[in-house]
Amino acid sequence: PVFVCLLFPRVDKDRSGIISDNELQQALSNGTWTPFNPATVRSILGMFDRENKGGVNFNEFTGVWKYITDWQNVFRTYDRDNSGMIDKNELKQALTGFGYRLSDQFYDILIRKFDRQGKGQVAFDDFIQCCVVLQRLTDVFRRYDTDMDGWIQVSYEQYLSMVFSIV
Amino acid sequence: GFYGAVNPVGGEAVPGSGSHPGASPARGLSEGKVAAPMASPHAGNAPPGVDPEAFSWFQTVDTDHSGFISVKELKQALVNNNWSSFNDETCLLMINMFDKTRSGRIDVYGFSALLRFIQQWRSLFQQYDRDQSGSISFSELQQAFSQMGYNLSPQFSQLLLARYSQRSPSPSIQLDRFIHICMQLQSLTDAFREKDTALQGSARLSYEDFLTMVVTRML
Repeated sequence: PVFVCLLFPRVDKDRSGIISDNELQQALSNGTWTPFNPATVRSILGMFDRENKGGVNFNEFTGVWKYITDWQNVFRTYDRDNSGMIDKNELKQALTGFGYRLSDQFYDILIRKFDRQGKGQVAFDDFIQCCVVLQRLTDVFRRYDTDMDGWIQVSYEQYLSMVFSIV
Repeated sequence: GFYGAVNPVGGEAVPGSGSHPGASPARGLSEGKVAAPMASPHAGNAPPGVDPEAFSWFQTVDTDHSGFISVKELKQALVNNNWSSFNDETCLLMINMFDKTRSGRIDVYGFSALLRFIQQWRSLFQQYDRDQSGSISFSELQQAFSQMGYNLSPQFSQLLLARYSQRSPSPSIQLDRFIHICMQLQSLTDAFREKDTALQGSARLSYEDFLTMVVTRML
């Protein structure tokens, strides 16, 4: 879309033609006054940076922007009380809506791990990171769970390879 | 199925590792030696328990004088032997390790501990870099793993090399990625050992077992 042409130079502060982690982080808001989660920034750039250059060019940035906008829409959908944060129940609804079937205890683990604001809820940036990580782990688990019974038998090295492929 | 479908937002999946650092050489700590602290009017006022040299470095690295070191500032301060900046993943990992407040930045105490930590890793790295090339080759990596007590196949070392190495001249691993690999290896091995109680080298994991193991120990 046209506005991305206008947006890119504003985000690319050093005019290098590449948007770095730092530049993207500064351009994004998580709804609080704290900086956008750098891990989320890295995850996103890692997805769209086709050349391992540590940032995205203009073309790749259009993908990044759409990606973030899509997540904003999802976040707004599930932030039912419009608090700007997603609480445990809203997170359950969101992830169940995406097709995940997870125990109640596991939601506690997720929130403990991903909530950087320390409020027992997830802000926009942490929500994205949580979903991205969950997706990657699920994808890799599925590849090994060929009979789809929710269990895998893996050797130590298989396990290492599984996780190293996504961290 | 009983477990996850897809996230509603799909990203383009780019296989492979994190970014390579930019080409600009960062001024900063050169390999191996302890850089002389810059002259600083505050050098004598290190907080209690903080080494004056570490304090001096802290002030140099804290370019916006916020009293905290961010990932960006850390990245400007840490260099590999080929003068490339430490990559974002490793900087993030280290900030997370030494940041008690989960704010994404570290104070002078965290930074001081981080310097000691990096120094230890640099020493190890130098030890394993037998030909002193400045980076760790396939055979050096295998030796390193063996000496660290890991029993890993050459295929696995090859996998790591493919994922973490710089492209040229020959695949080898810089200090930042070496730290990243070793830290992950340690954390993952601990997690696996908890499940493989019979020490068979194999474990049966449920979907949530797997998720929990990784999420709770994610660095």
